[in-house]
Amino acid sequence: MRGGTLVYLDAEASRSTQPQGAGTWQDSAYLENITDRLIWKDPASGEVQPYIAESWDVSADGTVYTFRIREGVTYSDGTALDVESVRRNLEWQALGDEANGIQPSTQWPELDSVDVEDGAVVVRLLTPYAEFLDVLSGWSASLVADSTIAATLEEQQQITGIIGSGPFVVESEKYGENIHLVRREGYDWAPPSLAHQGEALLDRVEIHAVTDDTTRLGTLRSGQADALRYIQPADERLLAEAEGFQVLAAQGIGATNQWHLRSSIPALQDSRVRRALQVGIDREGLVSGLYTENWAVAQSVVTEDTFGFVDLSDHLAHDPEQAGALLDEAGYVDRDDDGYRVRDGERLSLVTVIDVYDATAKPLYQLVQSQLKELGIELTLRDADYSQVSEAYAAPDVAAVRSGWPYPAPWATLRTLWGADGGDGFLLEGADATLEELLEAQAVATDEEERAALLEELQTHVIENAYSLPLLKDSQIFAASDAVKDFSWSAEARPLFHGTWLDRR
Amino acid sequence: MPSRLRYVATRVLQAAGVVAATYLLTYLVLFALPGDPVANRLDNPQNPVPPSQARMIIEYYHLDQPVLTQLLITVGRLLRGDLGYSLGTGRSVGDLVVQGLGSTLLLALAALVVAAVIAATVGVLAVFAPWEPVRRLARLVPALSLATPSFLIGLFLLQIFSYQLGWVSSLETEGPVSIILPALTLGIAVSPSITQVLIQGLTEASGRPFVRVLRSRGLTQGRILGRHVLRNGSIPALTLLALTVADLIAGSVIVESVFNRAGLGYVTEQAVRSQDGPIVLAVVLLVSSLYSLVNLVTDLMYPVIDPRISLTESRLGSSRRPDRPALAEGT
Repeated sequence: MRGGTLVYLDAEASRSTQPQGAGTWQDSAYLENITDRLIWKDPASGEVQPYIAESWDVSADGTVYTFRIREGVTYSDGTALDVESVRRNLEWQALGDEANGIQPSTQWPELDSVDVEDGAVVVRLLTPYAEFLDVLSGWSASLVADSTIAATLEEQQQITGIIGSGPFVVESEKYGENIHLVRREGYDWAPPSLAHQGEALLDRVEIHAVTDDTTRLGTLRSGQADALRYIQPADERLLAEAEGFQVLAAQGIGATNQWHLRSSIPALQDSRVRRALQVGIDREGLVSGLYTENWAVAQSVVTEDTFGFVDLSDHLAHDPEQAGALLDEAGYVDRDDDGYRVRDGERLSLVTVIDVYDATAKPLYQLVQSQLKELGIELTLRDADYSQVSEAYAAPDVAAVRSGWPYPAPWATLRTLWGADGGDGFLLEGADATLEELLEAQAVATDEEERAALLEELQTHVIENAYSLPLLKDSQIFAASDAVKDFSWSAEARPLFHGTWLDRR
Repeated sequence: MPSRLRYVATRVLQAAGVVAATYLLTYLVLFALPGDPVANRLDNPQNPVPPSQARMIIEYYHLDQPVLTQLLITVGRLLRGDLGYSLGTGRSVGDLVVQGLGSTLLLALAALVVAAVIAATVGVLAVFAPWEPVRRLARLVPALSLATPSFLIGLFLLQIFSYQLGWVSSLETEGPVSIILPALTLGIAVSPSITQVLIQGLTEASGRPFVRVLRSRGLTQGRILGRHVLRNGSIPALTLLALTVADLIAGSVIVESVFNRAGLGYVTEQAVRSQDGPIVLAVVLLVSSLYSLVNLVTDLMYPVIDPRISLTESRLGSSRRPDRPALAEGT
């Protein structure tokens, strides 16, 4: 049913919509609704599918990609989204704009050249890059008009500075209060695999940032809004039982909610201690104690629909006896007066920083803390201020930090996070040659089967060594009135309003 | 008159000095504190930036320069009227402050009216109501409103008038109607001290000798009250009201958060939360200038309200009571 205005309440206000730098939940979602990308990633299967790129070829050595571009696509300012525009966009994504402070798109491979040949866009990379198409499906690879590419960093950071070809166009924005989107007339280039084609069904989408949880839920319940992002688990249960409302959970494809353990901490240099943590945490207990049935335990460092996923649940099953045995073996046999294990008089004590990006973090950390206490491990929780979070995480005595979110190119991002020449998330400083080799090999593997085998090895290696402790599969919780139909998401759980419609009868 | 002009000029210079010192201190504190929006963006694990790219971005913002260089760049821009851009969102600081100020000024004025009405009503009732229980009840009101958190009042009003009755939208700004609920909330929140001070002032003024003299001259109670007691007894309350204006404009974050208004309080809170230097500095500049201005204006207003107070006196320090008995004011 065509028509109507969707009033959508987001949990945070827009911060920056500059494509290469945008990463917040809200900004990436807004970008994806007003722009299109070359590749579409199917949320159900994780497959890369045609979108603005109708078809493509990859050379045998994996360094040359030839994209044939769909005809007739235009930006909302009337300029054409043709092969030349695609070429300019890809160059901009690959190289950034240093003079204007715009970084290259993170996770982009090293570019040799981008050319237009025989009406197709030919991208030549310096080395093969297995997740290139995945990178092109992410919000940072959104295609924008020349005026946006030429605009200053500050102009692009506001959504009014982004001119795209997407199913919606920005009508207006008032800082900290609302963003108004209207249907793009003539939109006819949605991903072919989607059920709904052609123009968006909604006339308008009014996005309001309502940061207070109580007000956001109250506004939805009073009927003044149609949908919102994020309610607390306790409210989830109440709303599910209430008449006229639906609770929708979206789980994005990518890395699971996991804690990175740092080998710079002496106690964690012993793999037995790390493995004790791995099996000592009761993940089922975390979910049943704190969350609803919309949440699940992690089965690996990535979600099941990520390419190369392998089920390592038996390595993650709760086994307190084995944890205790491992800790005994590591020398932490005796306990002090408070019940914590000691070795040579030193208590087994670890520090972590409570994740500032996750609203449900504090209770989760406290529950893990009490679970570890039973094992005899002291976990000290440190609060971080949002403004100082990077400093807090970088403190030398921090033993574990939370990581893992949906990513368009999960393995490329994990490589940036874990690799010694990237973020070195486990603080191994390159000491584990196998890890470095696997990270590199999977990135350039051209054969799918070979790559899947490498990824299996990588996951098993990381989990058996307990460098990372996968905990949960995060869900993004949305709530809407029953009038909202076909509320859908991208592969990374960002809401897309193209096919959504309202049944106000 | 020349001495008055000299006095005003001295005060203005002093105020400018205070504003400059506040700005400098804030700048140094912000610099000394670890963390800033750029670093957070670069280290954000949701979209990690490779170290090579990070360096380029830090250079763009001059964050690798020593503090003095950065300060000179900032002050240089300031003197040219350029307040810079938000580190977090890239918005022009000038635009943000103007938008925030516009929204907050409106709310502040409305809240001030509400607070003044509450204070006047409750104050007069507390001192002059003919019935004892009413006077007692009125004296309780300031304490009650002080004890209730503003967000609770706000949520309560929202629940009744917006969600249940649907009289006001909690999302849209529909003109004058949208200001009523937040103004009520904020007005109730700031009224207690003004009310208390007014009650005290009225009680004291109504016990003064000149009241008896006026009554002996045949003036009605109403006339004594309205014309003389209120005017004499409200000086301290007016001072407080003026200071409250500055408080209100500096922004009430909680009320703005509950009612979804991106006023100055919201802008400030977002900036402080992420240590967004340019915005914090602009707000500090604005608020310190405002307080200085309000202080100056209030001091200059005293002689107008009460001719017994001269500028010399107020320079020596506050409205002292003159030690000779006041003559009856029959004007």
